[in-house]
Amino acid sequence: MKKMLAFALLTVVGLLFFTACGDGGTATNPSTNPPAAATSPVAQPNPAPAAAPAPAAPAPATTTPITGPIDVISRESGSGTRDAFVDILGILEGGVDRTYIEAVIQTGTGAVITAVAGNLYSIGYISLGALRDDVRAMPINGVAPSAANVQAGTYPLFRTFYLAVPRNLESLAQDFLDFILSAEGQAIVSGRNYIAVGDNLAPFTGGGLTGTLEITGSTSIAPLMELLAVAYMEINDDARIEVHSSGSGAGITDAIEGRAAFGMVSRELRPTELESVDAVAMAYDGLAVIVHNDNPIPSLTTEQVRDIFMGELSRWGDTQ
Amino acid sequence: MRYGRMRKHGLEFSMKIVFAVCACMSIVAISLIAIFLLAGGLPAIHEIGIVEFFLGQRWAPGDRYPAVPDFGVLPMIVGSIYITLGALVIGVPIGLFTAIYLAYMCPRRIYVFIKPVINLLAGIPSVVYGFFGMVVLVPIIRPFAREITGGGTGESILAASILLGIMILPVVIGISESAIRAVPESYLEGALALGASKTRSVFCVIVPAAKSGILAAVVLGVGRAVGETMAVNMVAGNQARMPTHLLRGARSLTANIVMEMPYAYGLHRDALTASGVVLLLFILIINMLFVFFVRKGR
Repeated sequence: MKKMLAFALLTVVGLLFFTACGDGGTATNPSTNPPAAATSPVAQPNPAPAAAPAPAAPAPATTTPITGPIDVISRESGSGTRDAFVDILGILEGGVDRTYIEAVIQTGTGAVITAVAGNLYSIGYISLGALRDDVRAMPINGVAPSAANVQAGTYPLFRTFYLAVPRNLESLAQDFLDFILSAEGQAIVSGRNYIAVGDNLAPFTGGGLTGTLEITGSTSIAPLMELLAVAYMEINDDARIEVHSSGSGAGITDAIEGRAAFGMVSRELRPTELESVDAVAMAYDGLAVIVHNDNPIPSLTTEQVRDIFMGELSRWGDTQ
Repeated sequence: MRYGRMRKHGLEFSMKIVFAVCACMSIVAISLIAIFLLAGGLPAIHEIGIVEFFLGQRWAPGDRYPAVPDFGVLPMIVGSIYITLGALVIGVPIGLFTAIYLAYMCPRRIYVFIKPVINLLAGIPSVVYGFFGMVVLVPIIRPFAREITGGGTGESILAASILLGIMILPVVIGISESAIRAVPESYLEGALALGASKTRSVFCVIVPAAKSGILAAVVLGVGRAVGETMAVNMVAGNQARMPTHLLRGARSLTANIVMEMPYAYGLHRDALTASGVVLLLFILIINMLFVFFVRKGR
């Protein structure tokens, strides 16, 4: 009886505590729950297809200027997203990753989104395909990040998704590779906010093979690869394809050492790696620089983004 | 008759073996873990260089040709130590006072309420603590961090220390309470008879008498704090550089391993295993201290 009473009391206290804390949280950061009007993001993940050099999108409805220190959020070393980001922006200088040493390190795309969505002053980067409404994707050089703009060549931040393919492929692996690069496979790619590697591709003609394939590598590519695998297994139901996400580096090692049919790699392959495997481009992926929904800065230049992530530009007030 | 006795004997003997094997299980487990860590870690430490590994201040596994990656683990060692010290500063006084209250001042009716709550605290998964820290502590600390250090997200040594301070409470309270209760009643009676107030008797007679048990509680709390991974990872900011400020982030040894292990391969992976060796050393030292204090108490 007493135990039950104690438990009931505890629950009540706990609930009170949580609601109180929730209030406290919003009080310290009044912008976490802005009115609906203010949340309209500048860059829709999927704007109208005809978006060649898009004009600088209008700033959100909030008028409060943002001036204070920038909170830089990056990914852990070894992440393909970070490797690609530092590569494209030139943060990697002579092989040295010069990412701002004070940058908070979050593990995984979801963690970066959560961190940015909860902090008005923060800036981070994620795969364009993973973009969600709770953060705003910053236009770069006035161009909104979207698959169409990457394809048009106006949005500068994108990377290639590679497959690390061993030299002598078994027939099932070759067949699946053909499927990925066929019209059907690339339709799945572009249907998911990624960019196909080509258009007017030949339709898939293979199939009829049995066996099991193991595909390992980049966590960024794995969700897309899962979709491709499911679609392939529908056409070819005697084949089984297992996708494991273990990171780009591990994917390459697995492909080289024969533990996987091919490795998924979301960064450029290094010369030493290309001695043992071929790199086959399977899709392009934009990289979105994300900020809080209430961040009023309309656009950043590539140089500004680089300087921010190298710690040389450290205040929001200096970005305009 | 004889046959039956033999069968009984045989059963007795075989059960004895079964129990002995079970008893050896933890020894086998710890040996396997130690062998695995040392086999992976020691060659890596050798390859990186003992001085470069333990005293290197730059952890940059992502550097690549023409640069050479650096694997200096000192920032993480210092980060772990700072976060743990912070946790002790917060957790030990609260835990000790709670234990004293529970053992000497607490009415029975309140005791049956507080004790289960403390035990419940021990049962909350660390990822839940981490989430609490992320949505509550970090936003509270953020404005102070920005005001005082000119930046920072609030993910900081302070946030990690507060969280760990709460997490070590059940250990500190549990062990120091039983240490305090083990002090003979006559000590308290003697002190009271000499005219000391109850508080004075407890603090000047009972607590010193229970000293070694309380120290053991603290040491075990340190063990918990050093080994905690998820909660620290979620609120500490994880910058791989020497800690600069209480309100700025740091990376602990455990967070370093859990963050980078999924993507690591080659020397990077072995270097992470080697940081596991460092952790193992930490825990060994802590446990030896614990045994030392417990023995001293007897």
